[in-house]
Amino acid sequence: MPLIIKDEYPEKLFREDGKRLDGRDKNELRPIKMEVGVLENADGSAYLEWGNNKIYCAVYGPREVHPHHLAKPDRGILRVFYRMATFSVFERKRPAPGRREKEVSMVITDCLKPVLFLELYPGTSFEVYINVLDADGGTRCACTTVAALALADAGIPMRSLVTAVAIGKIDGELITDLSGIEDKAGEADLPCALTWFNEELSLLQFDGKMDLDEFNKSLTLAKEALSKIYEIQLNALKKKYIEIQEEYSGGEK
Amino acid sequence: MMNIKRVISTIEKNYILSNLKKGERIDGRDLWQYRDWNIKSNVIASAEGSAEVSLGKTKVITGVKYDVGTPFPDLPNEGVCTFMAELLPLASPLFERGPPNEQSIELARVVDRGIRHADCVQTKKLCIKEKKAVYIIFVDIYVINYSGNLIDAGGISSLTALISSKIPEGKWENDEVVWTGKYFTGKTLVNELPIVSTYGKIGDIIFSDPSLPEELACDGKISISVTEDKITSIQKSGSATFSIEEVEMLTKKSMEFGKKTRKDLNLWQYKR
Repeated sequence: MPLIIKDEYPEKLFREDGKRLDGRDKNELRPIKMEVGVLENADGSAYLEWGNNKIYCAVYGPREVHPHHLAKPDRGILRVFYRMATFSVFERKRPAPGRREKEVSMVITDCLKPVLFLELYPGTSFEVYINVLDADGGTRCACTTVAALALADAGIPMRSLVTAVAIGKIDGELITDLSGIEDKAGEADLPCALTWFNEELSLLQFDGKMDLDEFNKSLTLAKEALSKIYEIQLNALKKKYIEIQEEYSGGEK
Repeated sequence: MMNIKRVISTIEKNYILSNLKKGERIDGRDLWQYRDWNIKSNVIASAEGSAEVSLGKTKVITGVKYDVGTPFPDLPNEGVCTFMAELLPLASPLFERGPPNEQSIELARVVDRGIRHADCVQTKKLCIKEKKAVYIIFVDIYVINYSGNLIDAGGISSLTALISSKIPEGKWENDEVVWTGKYFTGKTLVNELPIVSTYGKIGDIIFSDPSLPEELACDGKISISVTEDKITSIQKSGSATFSIEEVEMLTKKSMEFGKKTRKDLNLWQYKR
């Protein structure tokens, strides 16, 4: 069914002054805001604004597994439910979860598993609910980042946090943190995530065309960007406890 | 571990009831007092209109999207406005994932009926070409935090989202819909402001804006939508029964509440 205004891409993805369409430099991240403990009913929760992306995440667990036959006698299970709101994209998304959402859920599950001690929780389930309310490119990376925060906020033992970012190629140049337009109109998209306890890649996907040199350079760029995002993540986690501390010490630090 | 369905204990229920008998609420409100409203509009960049509404700790986000489609055969020159509500599992351990259940359908239906019968959305203006092309407006309500009384929060957030909407205006040219360059906003889209108010009943005591413990303890609820001078929809739910005198009293209260809320919240300020 036709929408009156069409979703069109510009021909050039760099402005005349060499900056990107949203005014960023090639390796500049969008503004990122994170907060933990935002939902009172969940065991752990986090909220993330990453450019125009707005994402809520809640964690429940360890709790009983429903349906029961999914329970594993020797370890806990992790289930991630990545869902987009109907109004989060240009053309209204159907409310039922689609193939893309299921795939992204699985990718995020596999990315988060290495940092958890699932073997210590036999017969239980950890559930991560991620709801994207506004989407503008790079949601799978943003969701991985916010899910790690929510797990930490739930007090679930973790080897380390996980941080994710996407590197891409537009008009032949490598750029950090693709926006929605750059993702759709660009030449390559490389989302990746790092588990900090061993500094290894835990999520890696690639779509597009790059030569070997470019690919290696992308990973270096990713590492730089990830360190910056990791800082923001740690600060968001600490902020909650600093606030509690200040509250109980009557404003004194 | 929050792995069990929350069933309210007899002690807590008795505590709520004994307080209500004294005309007090467990959170310090009086019987007819609402929790605080907090409204933000235009929070979702991808949506045509949106609103984030908190009523106490209950929080819902509503977004408006549109599409152009063929009209229903019996209403060939009227646009369509549909409502959907999703009770996200992140809002409460009581909510399960999966297809819409009774509770989320009730929420969407009650909000829908309150708005539809009030002639709120100007569906006649939302026709581009008779029998060929009309607007379909989607109002989707997402519950972010559940702390009781979703219907009132859903109603106000839907209204705010509709008022804050900017929907491209189309015209019919050479068998095709083209954009005129203008937008439907504010009063070209929304005509009336129907306000829904919900009351809980425990034993023979009635109170407005039930919070989560009160909602779990109460025998039943009644939601009444009103415009300036008319009642547009009523929904009774739960096992409680209401006497005719009680219903008359509540409809009068809803009218007063509607007038007051319309003035206090001043929803037209969210027009873009």
